[in-house]
Amino acid sequence: MVLNFSEQGTPMLGLAKKRIWKYNFMKSSYDAVIIGGGLHGLATAYYLAKEHGMNDVAILEKRFIGFGGAGRNTAIVRANQRTQYNVPLYKEALDLWPVLTRELDFNLMFNNCGNLNLLHSEAAMKTARMNISTAQFHGVESHLLDAKQTKEMEPALNISEDMTYPIHGAMYHPPGGVVRHDAVVWGLAKGATKLGVHIHQQTEATAIHTENGKISGVSTSGGRINTPRVLVSAGGYSAGIIFRMLGVKLPISVLTIQAMVTQPLKPLFNHVVSSGAYHAYANQTLKGEIATGAHMDPWPNYTTQTTAYYIKHQAEALSEFLPCLRGVKFMRIWGGLADMTPDMAPIMDGNDPVEGFYMDCGWGYFGFKSCSVVGKYMAEFMAEGNCPGILKPFHLRRCEQHRLMGETAALVNYSPDN
Amino acid sequence: MNRLNHLPTLRINPSEKRSLTYRGKSYWGFAGDTVATALFANGVRVFGRSLKYHRPRGLYSLDGECSNTCMQVDGIPNVRTENTPLKEGMRVKGQNVKGSAQFDWMGFMDKLDWLMPAGFYYRTMHKPAAVWPIAMKQVRKAAGLGTLSPDFEMKGLFDEIYPTADICVIGGGVAGMRAALAAAESGLRIILLEARPHLGGCFDYRVSPYNDDKKLYERARELADQVRQKDNIRVFTHTSMVGAYNNNLITAFQVGKEQDEFDERYIEIRAVSVVVATGCIERPLLFEHNEKPGVMQVGCAHRLAHTYGLLPGEQAVFSVGHDLGLEAAVDLFDLGLKIPCVADIRKDGQDPRLLMALVERRIPLLNGWVAAKVHGGKQVKKVTLTTVEGTVRRMIPCDLLVASAGLTPVNGPLTLAHAKLVYDSHTGYFLPTDLPEKMFAAGRMTGRNHPLSIEASGRLAGLQAAASYGVNNKTALAEAETALSGLPGPERGCKLVTAPVKGRKTFICFDEDTTVKNIKQAIDMGFDVPELIKRFTSAGTGPGQGGIPGHNLPLYVAQYTASTTPPKPTTVRPPLVPTFLATYAGTNHDMCKRTPVHDAQVKAGGIFRRIGVWQRARYFSGDFDCREDILNVRNNVGLLDASTLGKFRIHGPEALKALQRVYVSDMSKIKEGRIKYSAMCNDDGCVIDDGVVVKTGENDYYFTTSTGRACVTVEWIRYHTRFDGWDFHLVNLTDAMGVVNISGPNARKVLEKVADADVSNVAFPFAGYREFTVKGLIPVRAMRLGFVGELSYELHIPSSWMPAIWDILEEAGREFGIRNFGVEAQNVLRMEKGHIILGQESEQRTNLLDLGLGFLWDRTKNEAKTVGAVALRQAEADPGRLTLVGIQMEDNARAPKDGSIIVDDRVRGYVCTARKSFTTGEAVGMALVESQLSDIGARLDIFEDECNGRLLYARVVSMPFYDPEGQRMKI
Repeated sequence: MVLNFSEQGTPMLGLAKKRIWKYNFMKSSYDAVIIGGGLHGLATAYYLAKEHGMNDVAILEKRFIGFGGAGRNTAIVRANQRTQYNVPLYKEALDLWPVLTRELDFNLMFNNCGNLNLLHSEAAMKTARMNISTAQFHGVESHLLDAKQTKEMEPALNISEDMTYPIHGAMYHPPGGVVRHDAVVWGLAKGATKLGVHIHQQTEATAIHTENGKISGVSTSGGRINTPRVLVSAGGYSAGIIFRMLGVKLPISVLTIQAMVTQPLKPLFNHVVSSGAYHAYANQTLKGEIATGAHMDPWPNYTTQTTAYYIKHQAEALSEFLPCLRGVKFMRIWGGLADMTPDMAPIMDGNDPVEGFYMDCGWGYFGFKSCSVVGKYMAEFMAEGNCPGILKPFHLRRCEQHRLMGETAALVNYSPDN
Repeated sequence: MNRLNHLPTLRINPSEKRSLTYRGKSYWGFAGDTVATALFANGVRVFGRSLKYHRPRGLYSLDGECSNTCMQVDGIPNVRTENTPLKEGMRVKGQNVKGSAQFDWMGFMDKLDWLMPAGFYYRTMHKPAAVWPIAMKQVRKAAGLGTLSPDFEMKGLFDEIYPTADICVIGGGVAGMRAALAAAESGLRIILLEARPHLGGCFDYRVSPYNDDKKLYERARELADQVRQKDNIRVFTHTSMVGAYNNNLITAFQVGKEQDEFDERYIEIRAVSVVVATGCIERPLLFEHNEKPGVMQVGCAHRLAHTYGLLPGEQAVFSVGHDLGLEAAVDLFDLGLKIPCVADIRKDGQDPRLLMALVERRIPLLNGWVAAKVHGGKQVKKVTLTTVEGTVRRMIPCDLLVASAGLTPVNGPLTLAHAKLVYDSHTGYFLPTDLPEKMFAAGRMTGRNHPLSIEASGRLAGLQAAASYGVNNKTALAEAETALSGLPGPERGCKLVTAPVKGRKTFICFDEDTTVKNIKQAIDMGFDVPELIKRFTSAGTGPGQGGIPGHNLPLYVAQYTASTTPPKPTTVRPPLVPTFLATYAGTNHDMCKRTPVHDAQVKAGGIFRRIGVWQRARYFSGDFDCREDILNVRNNVGLLDASTLGKFRIHGPEALKALQRVYVSDMSKIKEGRIKYSAMCNDDGCVIDDGVVVKTGENDYYFTTSTGRACVTVEWIRYHTRFDGWDFHLVNLTDAMGVVNISGPNARKVLEKVADADVSNVAFPFAGYREFTVKGLIPVRAMRLGFVGELSYELHIPSSWMPAIWDILEEAGREFGIRNFGVEAQNVLRMEKGHIILGQESEQRTNLLDLGLGFLWDRTKNEAKTVGAVALRQAEADPGRLTLVGIQMEDNARAPKDGSIIVDDRVRGYVCTARKSFTTGEAVGMALVESQLSDIGARLDIFEDECNGRLLYARVVSMPFYDPEGQRMKI
């Protein structure tokens, strides 16, 4: 630890005065432009520079980095998804947190406390068993617990029969947990700019230009940029940007998703607890707040407004399965955007239909947990022009071929046609 | 401590004692006290310790803007004792302390601030990696404030009400009361919300003259009386507004009085127009150790004396930037407080009458001075005053520093309603440029401070709200506007951002222990806008949210960065006041649906499960394999309640077209007296529903859907015919009709005994549909189905007749061994028969062809654009899909668990439902597998959870497993 002496003559940490990430003036051309300074954009830029030597990259952010979903999610990470396409991807994402912490020299505060997905019916137990079998088959730790074992893991749970959805058991996933979302934003910004990437905040992309079916540049509120490659990774705004600027219509519905925190408490929970039937999850942040949220508002909506209904619903749900929380106060509720595809799997694609155009969107509420690994592979995709095998199943045209990915068992019900 | 019992403004009742215990001792307070004022009266000055540095914290504001007085009360953590009413027998405990609030072993943390610059946790504790898990445990222990036991039970009653109002007035000070009274003149229904336990706002505790014959508090009480006499004003006191949503939906919660039946209640108000008159809180003064116990805001000191009868100290220095500070000094001096001097940040502009009053009392006034630092260990002992330029310093002993930089409006309600706030350089407030539609602001929050201006702005806002409702009050409005314009307008506010200090112990956010120095560090590290600083330093994210830093943070950032753009506040989010989950949850009824024969099944020993909105009997004994129930259906007869099925009538000249659109089959081929089984797909060709349709008359059909689709089917059909303008009507009969399924070889014998019709195989064959009565009275729609693979009748009966027919069938069936069977028995029975249940043998992506139901699809329907047909055509040529197959285990000892996966070097499918069949003795089931593995005889490797690599093996076999020729259901 480097100590120096500040103006008051008291020692303070040597790093305290350094900028965490650099500001640069915008150039007139870059090798690649990334629209959206969220986690996926930052991670892709970082890996482009680090793994592929492509550091002539600009990130365009309309507001401030991490102001969209990156700062609005509840930071849960896990790899107990349903399909064999997703499990290895998210497994690698989990493995990357400690690596990134070291590489970025920034504490991402990975708390791998484990996740408990509560199961409230025989059908849910069966569905979970499929997830668990798939996880175990891929070497990801995940187990089925009965109600009593679940209670032992998290003593605050109510396992009585006297509730709307009595708890039958849980899917227990030890390697999952929580990462500090803001830390990932700033850490990646630090790492990327150190390698030469330019981050332009308060800079809005206004048009994407093509020539002969190829990307040629981007117009921004700060001037025109020539570039052969553009990645749109603007979270909930991606579908709108891509349609407006390139005329490509994506099968994405954007919905508001709300989350909230309670006042801080001394350690109470040791796991991320979630319940599909109650549409609620809860985990305790390192600060001690109970962060909770889950379901989206049931209509497409581009605002981040909160509703009276949702906070009440959340209180009702938590009151049932974590009744001690009745004595805790909600402190803050906020909204973010979830860009939902018909099969709840993302769209990661490139060079189709425009050469040099890449997209990474449709993440719904999985954008946080996937950001590191997706950045890694999208960077490979953009640098080499060929889609890495692990991303291939997520191509856009699966939707027009009616081949859904099976990430969800039940029908989804967030657009008017379902 | 002796109370000032003689004051007319008191809100305590000294004749009613209330006891509380704290640190093993009993103390007394009075009715009307808050927990904190009672403790204060008993000499408690340190109420808690701060989050990071464990600094002692005391009474600061009395309105709960910070966590200073958060304590554990009756096991509940983080209770703001400063505005929590004292109730008899409360048990109070300090929190975030090792030892006690007074003597906290963790107090040394205050010396370690140099180790914890802004965002230090992002840049430390991760090298080497092994350190982090250990450090994290310590971080967790150190963070958080109160402690909650995992088995804590929240006592009390939590109610909820949903009143509507023409006008909702938020804030029961004089402006709010005047607004309510003005709006009430036109007979509108008014709701008035006041956060404190009594109306009156900032007049309530002040004894300055209102006019020649009244003091301010007398005026407040006079208005309160007028408000209470109005029948059309409904007053909620001790009610904090917490949320404002679109179209003036206002949420709030009320704290119950001792005599109320509820402890707290959630209030959701749908109002046409809203008046916000929430007044101001004080802007904290920034100087070194500005939150030490003994530093108090003006209103806090003033109210302690006048509302609670407690002199806030013995010798007090004032450092203020507003006339309210001078007024409080004069007033508290008269009550016996010694005041060595009053420092006023302003160099001029004070009310001359207050200056005169100070002179009369020989209280020295230092114009252009401000507190720079307080000294003392756990409490204030001395204060250093300085000129605002920092040129001269002077130290003065005292035990109380009344400090306030000025006022800041409580404009949370406006911002929640999407008002944009702009910094106003005259008042120094963030004020709305445009108010949201049908929302009006009044009173001190607009910058007005003259009592008459406050009232006049209230009256005007009330009339404006009434006008926006539609009342014609032009004359009154014009008069009110004229009246207000003749009165003093918004006052110039004090602009001082911080005393001239370095800021190492100058706290801009108390709850998160964020100092001015931390803010500088954050800015230097590149976080140069308040919203980013908030995230990086966590200022304003504690229990009090923006209450303390909300105004000062943007001002300070603008000053430090020498920004040319005006300061911009950070986002305010609901709830504006932290609110118990218990309060939000309210009464929280479980609103499930019970079938008409629920009670009968309870009596029969049914074990129920929640299925969607319904409670359904899943088992009828502790044997969850349901052996007896299953064999009874196979050998005798069983009775199943299927009332949860969706049931619909569709009729009208173009009803058939609508059916053609949503069902895959050709629905024109439905024959009279016959049932038609078909399915509905979505645009991806995925099966969303299956059921039967019968024709009950000309252009009149009756159809069933699965339980889960009952609530969306009307919408579904309407949606998919929305451009056609077809003439048909849909009636949801799900709740109006009940369904009994009677199945088993003896089913006909039972039905024959009670039906008024010939139900023989000839008169009522398999797949037939009949309407008849039972016992000459009960109308029945009967279908012969074969879902469980036996002779089976599905009887649809008006719900009101269901209990009767249930009894009749049980009675009639007794000699044939009738017994109930539940959903799980049905599940096994139908599985043996190879019949699917959607959701069990299908997932979201499973299409009609995957399920082997392609035969249902009629490709020749040319008129109808069948939903899903396009996708199905495409899927026909798609080889890589999952297909439903029957499987039989190589080892019949047991079936694999549902949800096990089918693998080779990767996942190739999964087991949907599998059971060891009691009927055939074989372990069989259904699985969705990739089409390459779906040939009869293919060997499947089954990977079960926790199998540790020991696979199970099965073969693909043809279905059904039971009675493949289907003889039994046709007998």
